Amino acid sequence: MSITLDFNGKNLAKGKSLHLHYLPAKISGDGEANVETYFNNYTREAPEYGSGMLNNALRGYPLVGERMKVPEGYKGLVLQETEKPLSESTDRQLRLTGVFDEFTYWNYDKVPSNGDPFRQAMLMADVAKALSEPISEQDLEAEIRRNLESKKENDS
Amino acid sequence: MSKKTTRSAKPKPDPDANIDTAAQKSTVAGLKKVLYISEKILPDDNQLLRLDRFYHPGKGKDALFLTNPDGQIMELLEYAEPRRSWLINSEICANGRVYMTIPMDTTLLAIHHLRKHCAQRAMSLDNIAVHEASTSRFLTQFIDSNGLKCVADAKTSGDLTFYKYNQERTLAWLALKTRHVAEILKQKQIHCGHSAQSQNFVRSEKLSDNVVNEMDYGRMACDIVGRYLDSDLHDQLIGYLHIPSEIQAIVEEKTAAQKRKSQVGLEGSNSKKIKLNSHDSDAASKLKLSGLLDSKNGKDCITSPPTMEPLKERSMTAKEKALAKGAKGTKSIASFFKVN
Repeated sequence: MSITLDFNGKNLAKGKSLHLHYLPAKISGDGEANVETYFNNYTREAPEYGSGMLNNALRGYPLVGERMKVPEGYKGLVLQETEKPLSESTDRQLRLTGVFDEFTYWNYDKVPSNGDPFRQAMLMADVAKALSEPISEQDLEAEIRRNLESKKENDS
Repeated sequence: MSKKTTRSAKPKPDPDANIDTAAQKSTVAGLKKVLYISEKILPDDNQLLRLDRFYHPGKGKDALFLTNPDGQIMELLEYAEPRRSWLINSEICANGRVYMTIPMDTTLLAIHHLRKHCAQRAMSLDNIAVHEASTSRFLTQFIDSNGLKCVADAKTSGDLTFYKYNQERTLAWLALKTRHVAEILKQKQIHCGHSAQSQNFVRSEKLSDNVVNEMDYGRMACDIVGRYLDSDLHDQLIGYLHIPSEIQAIVEEKTAAQKRKSQVGLEGSNSKKIKLNSHDSDAASKLKLSGLLDSKNGKDCITSPPTMEPLKERSMTAKEKALAKGAKGTKSIASFFKVN
């Protein structure tokens, strides 16, 4: 079984730019919605919450949001699987719907801050980068010597 | 506008809050997924990326990795919050997850296979796990030989390189990795203590330097590295780095706090004593007195059964007297539990 991402560099460069909202609600069901008329039209700037903050409402529930960039060094993609796999072993393909560099992040009745799980999760990219940095032979040798010495000290 | 604000001020709990407008509802074929992809792994004009399943020792099963025909590989992480969904242009996407590729040192994953197959004898990579197609593909296509030399002894014979697992080098290498991670955690001011804390507060007040200590960063870093290791190797790493377990740390912190409290209490009682026996300034007698009191209390606890009588004999404090007065005519709480 393999999953192929069915796009190359050329497709990416020409990819349609998408307008995204990250909503703080569980929605059961995918489908078309009149987002422009009933949601985008009501997005207002809300400087009382801080610079760049926006507000809106979803079914009467107050939302506070902000424009958020895709982390540095990353590109945002929306992929779509055209047909559901019949079994685990069939080859699958994910097609490119579009790309984005920015989206609107919405919180329910809470000003977006560094305390939000989403922002904290994005720090994982930096941590992973630190973890993946190769370690030089010299550093490794030094560490082995250091450990041996500290062992000797403990024994004596 | 005023109507809107009153409505928003009193949000009612609505378990199935959704925004499907019945008129415009139409199902979209296929599910959409939002992916943050690292620019480093983006394909060229004629390349296609693949998602592959390889064994992930930390999970104990296969996990998804994004691979590029060049031999680049990244781990695929999934961010999921309980109530999140996307609006993409004019479409609702109920899958509120964000998938993200993160760079990864393949040596971390190779350690598992080396420990399993190359602990006793040196083997070349294409001889390991010949019957497991995905593992074999992983070892032959995505492993960096320089990284592998950090965790194994390499012997070259002709075109072939044979590897034998080296525990000492592996632990030293993992310790260095852990230190790198701890540094970035500190740099990014990620809160690592075991007590919950408001991130906003820590960030804005810049208190984190005092609140979290070095060991918390080390422990968190060790856990992050441990996500890629077999659990026994993770335990060995914890031992190597001398990291006390979190429970141990909590207990130690608590006893330290109690010590402080009891010290304060002791000081308090001493000062009280001084006030009471202001004529007696002999420190030794004071100590004896307090020691005597302690032993007496201890004896009471051991010898007397939990009844009311010995308590009466003891001189009561004003508070206890008041309590006893209030309890007059009421049953002892112990009587409720007696089986007669």
